[in-house]
Amino acid sequence: MPSESTLDFAPRKRLHRLSWIFASIEYLKHFLLPLLAAVFLGAQRDYSLWAALLVVPLIASALWHQWIYRYDFGPRGLVIREGLVFRNVRNIDYQRIENVDTERNLLHRLLKVAQVRVETSSGGGSEAVVRVLDMNAVQEMRERIFAARARQEATETGNAVPVREDLLLHLAPGELLRFGLIDNRGLIVVAAVFGLVTQIGSDRLLEAKVQPLLESLPIGGFATFGPLLQAFFIFSAIAGLIAGTRVLSVLLAFITLHDFRLTQMRDDLRVQHGLFTRISLTLRRPRIQAVHQKVSLLHRLFGRASLTVDLAGGLSGNAGQDGSRTPARELWLAPVCTPAEADRLFRIALPRVRLHEAAWQRLAPGARGRLFRLLSMLWLLFSVPGAAWLLGRWAPAVVLPVLPLLWLRRLSVTPRNRVQAVRLSTSPFDRRYGMASLVVDTAGARAVHLKIPYLDEDVATGLMRALHAA
Amino acid sequence: MPRQPVERTAIAVWRWEAIFTSLVIFIAGVIPLFASRVPVGISIGLGGLAFLLLAAWIAWYPGAKYRHLGWHLDDVGITIHAGIFWRTQSSLARARIQHTDVFQGPLQRHYGVATLKLYTAGSHFSRIELPGLSHDTAIHLRDALQSADGSDAV
Repeated sequence: MPSESTLDFAPRKRLHRLSWIFASIEYLKHFLLPLLAAVFLGAQRDYSLWAALLVVPLIASALWHQWIYRYDFGPRGLVIREGLVFRNVRNIDYQRIENVDTERNLLHRLLKVAQVRVETSSGGGSEAVVRVLDMNAVQEMRERIFAARARQEATETGNAVPVREDLLLHLAPGELLRFGLIDNRGLIVVAAVFGLVTQIGSDRLLEAKVQPLLESLPIGGFATFGPLLQAFFIFSAIAGLIAGTRVLSVLLAFITLHDFRLTQMRDDLRVQHGLFTRISLTLRRPRIQAVHQKVSLLHRLFGRASLTVDLAGGLSGNAGQDGSRTPARELWLAPVCTPAEADRLFRIALPRVRLHEAAWQRLAPGARGRLFRLLSMLWLLFSVPGAAWLLGRWAPAVVLPVLPLLWLRRLSVTPRNRVQAVRLSTSPFDRRYGMASLVVDTAGARAVHLKIPYLDEDVATGLMRALHAA
Repeated sequence: MPRQPVERTAIAVWRWEAIFTSLVIFIAGVIPLFASRVPVGISIGLGGLAFLLLAAWIAWYPGAKYRHLGWHLDDVGITIHAGIFWRTQSSLARARIQHTDVFQGPLQRHYGVATLKLYTAGSHFSRIELPGLSHDTAIHLRDALQSADGSDAV
């Protein structure tokens, strides 16, 4: 082409020849819900024809994408060329590449390919999603990118450090069982299925299938049982439900966290897990913004803790180059580990934080009373009408599920130099008690606020000044 | 901490904004009321009450907002005070500011005030706003907040 000078680096490597399948699937995902709805609602027969008409251009565009897409390893960085009419050439400097992550579901593994995500520290999602490459190409990409980076780092520091991968944590089946029992993800699945069913509008279907089942139950006979027997039945039903979701949780843990391993290579922490969809992530230590430890009542029962990290930039569910969204998944450092292991992982993830030297401060003296008043108010507000509604008989069932929440113990650590902004806020209630709350904002925070409520106002002001000056 | 107030003329901007919002609320609320089958007496009563409440809000809110808004510049960065009932103090270090905006709407331009918007790489309050500055102060603050060495730390 005349516009290309000889200085331009022309990428030559191509995607795997079956890439179009995955591209089509990715496009189809956007239409999945309407399609499912059509199937479930049993719409007009014409629909299948329309669906076919829709699918043909999708596959054509997927093939076109595969045909045109080129990538290669340039002298300075990864080069990706997309499109012919609207051509886009992207250069990603090796030095700026933080992660080369892969994701492989069952189909990927069957065809021995992987979806590759190239991320830099810029934030706002992946720099490039390469869909899909065969495993040799992935290996080559990893080696080329990290070799280039290591060379650049070596010239900066003056000597090449021998590369060694240390295994920090590996979850045995026993640990996965514990995780499944602690973590109640099964409930989320049940809720998601229920939500999907109602969303699609096939609750009619549910009605048709479940209604006769419910009616066949001896409800009339139930009323003739004594109150003790009734209570027994209801409690066993609840227990059955809880046990069922726990079994589902254990199953999920075995699938998603199968062969979970955390390894360290210099400043990179690598996480791999999954039975069907094998996920491999790289957490670069300089990007770690905060480490969160969670210890619930169940964790304590099993003598375990969970560790997650916040990472600056990517992986937080923003739109990537092609508008695809990465699911905002939790970044596990350790789904379950013993307190001793948690301590060690804390030290590895945030080497400059000396946690054991921390001098823990209490909240404002009035905080206990204020919280007690607030919780009793809430309890009265919710449980009294509930109890009245249930004729007072099942009141314990209303109150009990709240209890485990009170036993959640959480520890969040963020290094001072990761603090982006500090905000001190006082509500009218705070001012009445002379209290304030402090929120610390970091680059990677998602769900967990680094928020300290119920502080003495002077303490909070002092803390804010200290953090601001840091 | 010597806390700087914002520009007094900003009160006029907020008052106009309050008037416009009130008008929209009033019209959207009262016209359906008179069109409905609610007795005229009750409609007039409710309309009058809404009018009084909105008038009180217009009279009180801009001044209150002004009294609780302030800023303070130090060696490290800026601290912004805001909020009438739920009050906040946001501290932001110079090195953490990614980029800044000085924003003026038509009304603000007429009164010569501007809003300074500061962006960080943070996640929960990645944009912190300071409204009601005079345009000159906003520009001055923006320049003062540009880090001297241009270093950026995530």
